[in-house]
Amino acid sequence: MVEAATIAPPLGARSTLGIDTLVWGVGLALLALFGLLLAEMFAAGLPVLSLEFITGEASDAGRSGGISAVLVSTLWVVALAVGIALPLALGTALYISEYLGRGSTLYRLIHGSLDVLSAVPSVVFGLFGNAVFCELLGLGYSLAAGALTLVCMIVPVMVKASVDGLTAVPTELRAAGSALALSKPALIGHIVLPAALPGVASGVLLGVARALAETAALLFTSGYVLRMPDSPLDSGRTLSIHIYDLAMNVAGGDRFAYGSATVLVILLLMINGAIALVSSYAHRRTTDS
Amino acid sequence: MDRRTFLAGSCLGLLAFTWECGAEESVKLLATGSSTVAPLVAELARRFEQSHPTIRIDVQTGGSSRGVADARRGVVDFGMVSRALKTNESDLYVTTLANDGVSVIVHADNPVQALSRADLIALYRGEIDDWGRLGGKVGEPPVVVTKAAGRSTLELFASYLEMPPEELKAAIVIGDNQQGIKTVAGNPNAVGYVSIGAALQAMAAGTPIKVLPMNGIPATLEAVADGSFPISRPLNVVTRQPPNGALAQFLDFALAQAQSDIVVAMSFVPRHGQ
Repeated sequence: MVEAATIAPPLGARSTLGIDTLVWGVGLALLALFGLLLAEMFAAGLPVLSLEFITGEASDAGRSGGISAVLVSTLWVVALAVGIALPLALGTALYISEYLGRGSTLYRLIHGSLDVLSAVPSVVFGLFGNAVFCELLGLGYSLAAGALTLVCMIVPVMVKASVDGLTAVPTELRAAGSALALSKPALIGHIVLPAALPGVASGVLLGVARALAETAALLFTSGYVLRMPDSPLDSGRTLSIHIYDLAMNVAGGDRFAYGSATVLVILLLMINGAIALVSSYAHRRTTDS
Repeated sequence: MDRRTFLAGSCLGLLAFTWECGAEESVKLLATGSSTVAPLVAELARRFEQSHPTIRIDVQTGGSSRGVADARRGVVDFGMVSRALKTNESDLYVTTLANDGVSVIVHADNPVQALSRADLIALYRGEIDDWGRLGGKVGEPPVVVTKAAGRSTLELFASYLEMPPEELKAAIVIGDNQQGIKTVAGNPNAVGYVSIGAALQAMAAGTPIKVLPMNGIPATLEAVADGSFPISRPLNVVTRQPPNGALAQFLDFALAQAQSDIVVAMSFVPRHGQ
């Protein structure tokens, strides 16, 4: 200890500057990378954006016209996926955090499978979704099949965020509820859930973000059709797939690929902003109480 | 049943009702297969649907092998395949919609008149540091241009060189044909490969590039269309049965001269010439 104390000050004094610059440098590099990405994207994409591009009908294999059908398909898939995943995820999260003992085998089993599920590559979900939802359940290439595939992918993310929200509910609140002789369902419904809402909401937004960005899983399920969908049983092309196709398969599609990518990035930035808002709100609430 | 349950139930009912309304009486054709052919077929289908409102063609992707497998299993109405069929695939009926060709381009001022397959292999292995060795300007190092991974043009060119696509070394990696043409037009030492259709259009528009012959065969649309050009392939549609009904109607429509503008716009070569 004495030796360490005598050595430490000069070492610290010498190396702090170096470490500081390194940390700053890494931070700046990251910032620059993000800035470059956005600048390059917006420089190529913003000139393409117009009302016509957002609301128009695609023509010439997506190289002219607009992306209205793509936006509607994306909305269908994301809304359906989150709509189905939310009750599933919330139920699982409540079960895990309110009913299951921490050390129980089932708890570890569920946690383990959620970890594995969130690590599975999305193309595997795509093949699984194609085999199960498109072929076995007979949904064919459809927005519904794509949404159900996404449900499998986003439920783990949403469960984790919800469990975090639920476990962050202060024990005093639960104790107060129990002191009032509230039944367990009433305690959950009136006290725990409202308090955990920000965590659940950020889980939903994470799910939306992941669903928006997905390409591989949807190529085999919701598909490639560039027509305005009449119903969720139609095939439809989401934004990410549209970008991929324009960039890789259509000669001269790069310009509109950038335009579509800009729309997607703006959507994702908006969702990220919403996540940040919700979590800062959640943080304020838990620190206030 | 309390009010909320009732509300939820009726919403579901309404949803089911609107789903039913969406399903009109019409013929629906489903296709899967090559992601190179898919945009072409989708665009042909879009024009076809405008004049045939009762027929709908849903185009999906998944790759040529999937197109063959799905057509064979009968789970789709037709498959799309971006290559000639193999001998063990002769049970399928083939319709060639268009052809795709790749040619090597250099700057118009480059004195090189032809590059052999061996020359190209050496270039794309990064073994040549002087155009003089290949009959060009002595002392000028070649700037090799290749396409980004996953591009079908890269795969076609690499298979001509009999090299794995990932082994092609290059100074510049480009995305699409236009970018490749601009890169070569802007650098007197550049050498690249692009779709023949795109290259000839650019030359007609006065872009300073030169299309080189391959194995002594000049790079023309005719040589691609008849399959004699070494780096070319047919873009096929395959079916398990001879096409009939709505599918036959669509294929006749797709092959008509009136639709060749779509083929050209995708940088492919129409079967009837331009």
